[in-house]
Parts: sequence; structure tokens; C-alpha cells
Amino acid sequence: MSALLQQTPSWGTAIWFILAAVVLLAVLLGFVTYAIYFERKVIGWMQLRIGPNRVGPLGLLQTVADVAKLLLKEDIRPKDADKALFTLAPILAYAPAFAVLAVMPFTDSIQFADLGIGLLYYIALSGITVLGVITAGWASNNKYSLIGGLRSAAQMISYEVPLVMSVVGIVLLTGSMNLKDIVEAQRDVWNIVPQFIGFCVFIIAAQAELNRSPFDLPEAESELVGGYHVEYTGFRFAMFMLAEYVYMFGMGTLITILFLGGWLPIHPALDFIPEIVWFILKFSLYVFLQFWIRATMPRMRVDQLMSFAWKVLLPVALLNILLTAVVVSYQNGMF
Amino acid sequence: MLGLAKGLGYTFKKLTEKKVTHFYPDVPFPMPPRFRGIQHFSPEKCIVCNQCARVCPTECIQLTGKPHPDPEKKGKIIDTYDINFELCILCDLCTEVCPTEAIVMTNNFELAAYSRDELYKNLKWLDANNTNVREEN
Repeated sequence: MSALLQQTPSWGTAIWFILAAVVLLAVLLGFVTYAIYFERKVIGWMQLRIGPNRVGPLGLLQTVADVAKLLLKEDIRPKDADKALFTLAPILAYAPAFAVLAVMPFTDSIQFADLGIGLLYYIALSGITVLGVITAGWASNNKYSLIGGLRSAAQMISYEVPLVMSVVGIVLLTGSMNLKDIVEAQRDVWNIVPQFIGFCVFIIAAQAELNRSPFDLPEAESELVGGYHVEYTGFRFAMFMLAEYVYMFGMGTLITILFLGGWLPIHPALDFIPEIVWFILKFSLYVFLQFWIRATMPRMRVDQLMSFAWKVLLPVALLNILLTAVVVSYQNGMF
Repeated sequence: MLGLAKGLGYTFKKLTEKKVTHFYPDVPFPMPPRFRGIQHFSPEKCIVCNQCARVCPTECIQLTGKPHPDPEKKGKIIDTYDINFELCILCDLCTEVCPTEAIVMTNNFELAAYSRDELYKNLKWLDANNTNVREEN
């Protein structure tokens, strides 16, 4: 893939790029389909139910049926909605979610673009989704949508700060923002050990960034009738849901790469297991954690939300940076 | 922080525990013995006293009688007996008032139908509905 990028652009390379993107999209759709299925199953099991089991063997086609239903629905647009923005919002929410995956190194060889500032690229692009959400809230011309959209924007922007701050420690340790370099630097010990505080902050802030419980206030169905996508139906609604789960995919890959050593085996002796298997294993662990947390925790109160980000997470993240900086400069013989 | 871990541990333990879901449409659900389900009607017991139709709070029972075919005997026998399950609230009053136990409750409860017409149950249907008859009426 990297070799293709260095060639002079032509129609031939363009076709390869499109093909690669379509393959990634197919993998993603497969992931989203079965992530939703697995989420419902796991939550069901934890609530002593059995989860979806009627459509297809073991209910495996449940999500397919749900999506087919969504796509067959009438596409409703409120009369007073802002036409252009209403159409744009789902695209604006979904496109960055897909674009961030371009820099993710799934294994040593499977990667789309090897950016020197891969980490920065992820953080910069994922910020655009907030725009999609707030556009959706505004364009729907509905008070609940707007409240949901604003809440979501406030939450996502606030939690982005500790999220970014918590990975600064890793950048300090590695001395690089290239995701591949970050993985390679974890050969001896994964970042989760030296950067445990950073990991905790990151996982909490990631939860809020993904709008998942216990931070799922933007779509608090009991108070906002659904949040920013109240007025969305059918295909457009599916786009928002897709964006949400694709972000989970993105965040899962990012956490695996940053803290869990990417495709590296748990011990060098286990090298014979293919890299991609290690990656999928660690990634699935994170995805499971998502569902587990959702089945366990109630939603946070809106007035606790902001103060938690600014008064707890951010100072902790800053402290982590300070500690890492001290340790790194000590190792470099500064004192 | 300990609370969070405790909560996660609790839900994780529940993950493998036995599920409480009852496979209802696949496996029939046994109702408690005093459950008020769809009535069973036995025409040979009925004396056409009309009490069930009179006591019915929703007036969903309609019945007609005819003179006894044997001219020696007095009284009537039942000719038609219809219960409209669009209206019936399964309140048990008809079975309580019935002096001959001609109308009794069963434990059957599945009434869903695609057409409203199907909810008019006639004498024949109610007679055939003789499974799971309640023990005490």
C-alpha cells in the first residue's frame, strides 16, 4: 500500500485505492453488524436474558434484518429543517470516522498510509465529527435535537482535551507520533504499564468521546427523546449509527496500538501466532469492555459531566505528562 | 473506584449464569391454577337460564334457546351461544354465576387473530375448547 502511494498518480493506482477502501468498508460493515449483535447478546446475558435469537441461526442475522428495515423506511425530512445542512450532517459525522482508519497500522504490513504524525491525524480528524453532530442538531430545527447536539458538542470537546493530554505521555516516551514507531517502541513492555495513569484517563475520555455509557448523555433517550438524531430516519439515521460504531472500531484500534502493543505478541515466545490475530484479540478485548461497561453503569448526570472532565481528568492527565517528562529527562541524564 | 470494580465483577458473574428467559412461543407457558382464560362451554349442561348473559359487565355473551325436543320434558336447551372476545374481559363472572357449571374457565389464553371476525367464538368453538379446563370453578 505504501509503495502504491509513492507512485505517480494514475487511473491504475486510483482503482487500487478505491478497491482498498471498499475492502476496508466491507470489513467495517461486517464488524459493525456483529458488534451490534454481540453487544445485544452480551448485555442480554449480563441481564440474565438470552439476547436476539430469532432471526437466522442463533439470531446472527438480527442486525442484517434491522438494517434492512432501516433502509426500507421512508426518508422523512421535517418541513422546517435546513435542507442542505440536514443532508450534510450524517456525511459530516461519518466521513471522518472512516478517514481516521487510513493511518491505523493493523499489522506491520497492513496499513494504508504511514504518516509521520499519525496520532495527530487521528485526533484532528475525529474532532470533525462534533461538527456533524452539532449540524444535525441545528438543522433538524427541533429543541431536543439542538439540546442534544449542544450537549454532545460540549462533551466531546471537553473530553478531547484530556484524551489528547493522556497520549502526550506516550509521545514523550516514544519520541514519535508515528503509530508504527509507537508500537515498535513497546517491544519490551507495553505502554499500559509505564503509562497506566494515561491509560486510565484515555479509556475514560474515549468512553465520553464515543458517546457511550456511562457518558451517553447526548442520546439520553429518557430525557432528550434520542438527542441530536431525533428527526433522522432511515438511511440518514443508519449513517449516524454507523459513524458511532466505526468510531468504536477506530478507538479500539487506537487503544490497541497506543497502550496494548498493537500486533506484538504478549511474549516473544508466542511469535508464531500471526500478528493480525494478536491485533484482533486485543481489539476484541476493548470492544468487550465497552459492552461490559454499558451493561454495568448508569448514565452520568449532566452537571457532573463537565466538572469531571475539567477538574479530575485534565489535572490527572497533566500530572501524568509531568511525571513522564521527569522520568524521560532523568533517563536522558538531565539530572 | 472500588464500587466500579465491584459492579463490573457482578455483571461479569451474571454473564455465565443461568438465564431466566422462558421460551414462550416455542414452549407453552403453564399458567397458575386459578388463571382466568378462555371459557369452555358444554351445551348439554346448559339450562338456558340466561344468567351469564345478564351478569356479563360488557354484555359480550349472546345466547338463544329452543324448546326441548322431547315433549315430555320441561325447559329449554341451548340453540346458539356466542362470546365476543373483542369485548370479553375474562372477569370470571359468567362462570361464577352459572348454576350448572356449563360455562367454565380454562387456562388457554391465546386469542390473537388477524381479523376481528375471528374473535366471535360460537357454541361449537367454545365446546371444542376443552383443554386445560380449570380445576375449580
